[in-house]
Amino acid sequence: MTSRLTTVILSRDMDTLLRFCLIHLGVAAAAAGLPVHDVVIVDNASIRHLPAALDGAPPYRRLRLDAHTGFSAACNRGATQAPADFYLFLNNDVLLARDALSAMIAAMAADPGLGICGSRLMFPDGTIQHAGVLMAGPPGGPYHVGRRQPPRAVSVSRTDFQAVTGACALVRRETFEALGGFDETFTFGYEDVDLCLRARQAGWRVRCVQAPESLHFESMTPGRQALGAPTLGQFFQRWLGRYTIDG
Amino acid sequence: MRSPAEHRLFYFLPGTGIFGGIKVGCQFASLLNRLGALCVLATPDGSAPTWFRCDVPVVSHATALETIAALGRDRATVLFSLPHDYPQLADSGAHLVFHCQGTDPLIDPILADPDVTLLSCWPQAARYFRERGRDDDIDVGIAISDTFFTGARRKQAGHVAWMPRRGAAIGRAARRRNRHLDFEAIEGSDEETVAGVLKRCEIFLATSENEWFGLPVFEAMAAGAVVLTVPVFGGMDYLKPGENCLVADPSDVPSTLTDLTNRHGEARRARLRHGALATALSLHPQRQARHLTALLNGPLAFLRP
Repeated sequence: MTSRLTTVILSRDMDTLLRFCLIHLGVAAAAAGLPVHDVVIVDNASIRHLPAALDGAPPYRRLRLDAHTGFSAACNRGATQAPADFYLFLNNDVLLARDALSAMIAAMAADPGLGICGSRLMFPDGTIQHAGVLMAGPPGGPYHVGRRQPPRAVSVSRTDFQAVTGACALVRRETFEALGGFDETFTFGYEDVDLCLRARQAGWRVRCVQAPESLHFESMTPGRQALGAPTLGQFFQRWLGRYTIDG
Repeated sequence: MRSPAEHRLFYFLPGTGIFGGIKVGCQFASLLNRLGALCVLATPDGSAPTWFRCDVPVVSHATALETIAALGRDRATVLFSLPHDYPQLADSGAHLVFHCQGTDPLIDPILADPDVTLLSCWPQAARYFRERGRDDDIDVGIAISDTFFTGARRKQAGHVAWMPRRGAAIGRAARRRNRHLDFEAIEGSDEETVAGVLKRCEIFLATSENEWFGLPVFEAMAAGAVVLTVPVFGGMDYLKPGENCLVADPSDVPSTLTDLTNRHGEARRARLRHGALATALSLHPQRQARHLTALLNGPLAFLRP
């Protein structure tokens, strides 16, 4: 018996941030009519092991990885812990808005061809962190549309994209399994874009729900930003000349 | 609504080079995607056209054919426009949709196949179908990319843009006779660069004979250029000589250009420019989107997810 939704969150120390992330997730899940759902926290080689419970946060399963593991592999392992109809891959520094999960689930329910659904995320200063990903050629490659721009910079009516961020992405199980999950040769960065591009090749749509807005602090885990740079080269090795340019 | 396991839609392209047919095919696939029918491009080696903006996913012919073989006719639909692809695709088992972009007699075997759905993009193609006993085509229209309508630039008087890839001799003759004009050749450029030139130029000289449609002429109209063109096939339904352009036989092009750029002809050029813009607006992508939306609720409902 599978549950309807499993949320997978990677965490490396930063327990307080994780606690607030979980509290917001709990509120969003309840608003979506999912007061009980599986939450898998992948403890990605934290110095202090993740406690069994965090004060005020909904219950979760722990998956301890003693060796620091790439985002793709860790998410894939997390998903296998609790098979579900949908997987929500969520960064520990995303605070979901109350109705964010409802909107994403409603989009999935309305369209069986929708494989991956992202959500609009904002920086704490009120500018856009994520409202969809546009695909440019080298040297920049994929980028977040409207990043660091005011909310109105990206129309809320624009929802279909070639890719969305994996910081907050709802993925249909059928899609995830057909694609073999995230490609584990990516370590940190662009695995989400890769998953989306492969999903669209397989005929699935990718969408970004533009309302409501959730909060994303972005790259809060120490050392995270340095990890992403080499992966762009890897992304181009695989995809350059094989995706269309819309950005 | 259907999932990819229930229905797949591919648009087969013969390549990704700088040819109007490649762009028209991609733009049509992109429009279908916007309207909810996720269409995947299939190119010979899975490479994507990158010389214009587009957001359609791409796979190789081989991958697409494998998927089609697994799904069968009821669950796979293939759009194509190059007649050479027909024999292989006819064997693929998919429901074929011919997106006609030229009425070469090579398309006659396709028209003779009653199982192939026919899409016409302009009236001349529909007339060709009628002459061969097919009156069941669906007019899907054709559109000019948004890029040419937006971001106007200051026009440079006496600036003539042309595309030497076809009809180079005509262009050279026009240049010899009109040395006072500033000619700019557009060759092998991406769409954005082409749009930039067309927005700057005063005149667009279309020298390509035997074009099936001649999309650059209409892109130039959208960019506010005055068009002087040699006759084409399909595009003639939209060209109104003296109203939205001038049409001249190749041998008359140099003298017609001289006449058109006469320093007392500003009012005439302005009139032609306004007429051209009106024609271009009738080929605006929003207009085609509205038309296609209606078709997806009617005869093209089988393309919808």
